[in-house]
Amino acid sequence: MTLFSSSMTLRAATPISDAEFKELRDFIYQRSGIWVDEKRKYLFENRFHKRLATLGLKSFDEYVKLLKFDPRSAEEMKTLWEIITTNETSFFRDIKQLESFQKVILGEVLAEQRKKGKLELNIWSAGCSSGEEPYTLAMLISESLGLELPKWKVLISAVDLSPAMIAKAKEATYGDYAFKTTTEEQKKKFFVPEGANFKVKPELARMVSFQQMNLNDDAAVRRVPKSQIVFCRNVIIYFDDAMRTKVARAFYDNLLSGGYLLLGHSETLHKISTAFRPKFIPGAMAYRKD
Amino acid sequence: MALIQTHEVKPGMVLAADVLSKDGRVLFTAGAVLEPWHVQVLKTLGVAGVEIAEIEAVVTPDQAADYTRAAFLYVNPDHPAMQTLFEIAAERVLRRATRGWVLPDVATRQARNVEHLSDVFGPGQASPEEIVQHETELASFPDLYFRLKEMLDSPKSSAKRIADLISGDVGLSAKLLRLVNSPIYAPVSPVDSVARAVTLIGTNELATLALGITAINYFQDIPPELIDMPTFWRHSLTCAVLAMILARRQGLPPERFFTAGLLHDVGRLLLFKKLPYASTEAMIHARENFLPLFEAERILLEFDHTDVSKVLLAEWKFPEAMAQAINFHHDPMCAADPQSGATLHLADIMANAVGIADGGMYAVPDLDPAAWDELNMQPTELHSLIVEFDAQFEKTLAAFL
Ligand SMILES: C[S@@+](CC[C@H](N)C(=O)[O-])C[C@H]1O[C@@H](n2cnc3c(N)ncnc32)[C@H](O)[C@@H]1O
Repeated sequence: MTLFSSSMTLRAATPISDAEFKELRDFIYQRSGIWVDEKRKYLFENRFHKRLATLGLKSFDEYVKLLKFDPRSAEEMKTLWEIITTNETSFFRDIKQLESFQKVILGEVLAEQRKKGKLELNIWSAGCSSGEEPYTLAMLISESLGLELPKWKVLISAVDLSPAMIAKAKEATYGDYAFKTTTEEQKKKFFVPEGANFKVKPELARMVSFQQMNLNDDAAVRRVPKSQIVFCRNVIIYFDDAMRTKVARAFYDNLLSGGYLLLGHSETLHKISTAFRPKFIPGAMAYRKD
Repeated sequence: MALIQTHEVKPGMVLAADVLSKDGRVLFTAGAVLEPWHVQVLKTLGVAGVEIAEIEAVVTPDQAADYTRAAFLYVNPDHPAMQTLFEIAAERVLRRATRGWVLPDVATRQARNVEHLSDVFGPGQASPEEIVQHETELASFPDLYFRLKEMLDSPKSSAKRIADLISGDVGLSAKLLRLVNSPIYAPVSPVDSVARAVTLIGTNELATLALGITAINYFQDIPPELIDMPTFWRHSLTCAVLAMILARRQGLPPERFFTAGLLHDVGRLLLFKKLPYASTEAMIHARENFLPLFEAERILLEFDHTDVSKVLLAEWKFPEAMAQAINFHHDPMCAADPQSGATLHLADIMANAVGIADGGMYAVPDLDPAAWDELNMQPTELHSLIVEFDAQFEKTLAAFL
């Protein structure tokens, strides 16, 4: 006996042929460096099903043609990035890493700048999603600098592939989900309530500058201001080794000497790059450009 | 709530109050979704009418189907067995929703704070061998396990010796007796001693169950904040009961499959102990990307929980036939005996599908079509298998808690 009045089918989407899948996958890879495994074919069918319907397209082949050759392509790319990226993030994510970063790395970098008499700090947050990570960094910096803060010129350049995420980040307003790894204390200290949500305090938000950017776009990447610190957490897991090597190189080129790269909890430069000197900090690994 | 005459009661309606028999016993409890057989019983017993809940359709069949489909995004939608499992899973989701279950939204499905947890090893620092070694150096495995294992290996061990050994452990014998009295064995009269349990189900069979319980108990003390342990045990036991039912149909030794099912994710337990933060990240990655957990583990750790169980079970000298089924449940055709591998493979997939309506949040792993062919089953058999499972599971779970 069934509660369903009619039978339902598991397949709810237009099938994608192997050839179509390969074409779309290769297109995405060439543009963004994001590598989609064959096993995610059905997910693709499902994800793009609605999009195809909205665009009035009958097959994936037509969709790829639109992306490649149609005048609407530039506009459609924005939606494409939205569909294929996953943007999981939260404030103070991986607090163990952040605490050691603040104590060891940030401490060292700030001291170095003071010694040089250059009260400037540039940070690049690559793959910043909806902004929680770069804002968290602004919070850690303001905590470390305390009353000294007004004397410093701090710039956090935060970039992400997804235009939707960048737009959300610029608003600086967040609901419960963003705070799942945040204590009440941190929330009180760095945010102001706004209806049911919370907004990043303006003096912190001011440190961060957001921009839509593709890490596979060499020219754009070269325009990012040279930094003392690069954060690229939970982004390179979506890339293949060639793309990982490429971005590691870009981070190396962007860093000033004595600067540090920090990756996500489970990510390493093992097999990717030997240019950096790995440095253990409690709960994490930092990569130094000597 | 409304009083409905029995001849107007229809399957799918939900009871608002307990239904009592003439002598005052509870026949059906409030909240039950009526099925045709309920209606039949009401008619046969001459119950005049029942209180029916006026439940608003908070969840439509389409929503239930979509919710369920989201867990099936990793599987081949054109495989008939997966289609059937999808129907089974969606039915359970809708059924539970009619009883008031609110489908979890994306945010609640992903929220979890484990920021206070530290891994024993840094990123890229631990191989399955090092993880297992770290554990075996710290703690010794229960002596009882090795004595059971010895007896299982020796053709000479008598029923009496095994019964004595098990009886010596009060906790173990109590649990075994509850299990033997549960619906998975459904004895005609209650079994009240280990000696009788041995006569009923066999010496090796009982020792096999005892071995599995002893092994899994080793992990009983995992702190609850590490992982939602009730959900973990529920999945393990679901897999155990399904594997046992499948084994009986295949003419394979049921106890071996119950034990293998119980331990099929044992590698994950060790991962939780050693890499709590990384395994939580793997769970988050799996949910975010609609991947089965083992795939997310492979991406983040570069190995998965079966790579850990391979080393762990070898270290424990776990009986090879069961170890093979456990270690290859995601890769069944590579097991030394593909039929065993396939049996546990299907049991795990079914357990994942059934688990969706229990709040399970991970993508159902895909069915290896060769494994399915190996089992020589018809997709429709999956329905009857689930009926059998439902008749046995809750009471077996109670026996285990
Ligand atoms: C899982 S989020 C990580 C967010 C944050 N860094 C954190 O760790 O919480 C990954 C982000 O990487 C971005 N991303 C993926 N490929 C990219 C590319 N080629 N260029 C820029 N950003 C990319 C995605 O849009 C997504 O927002």
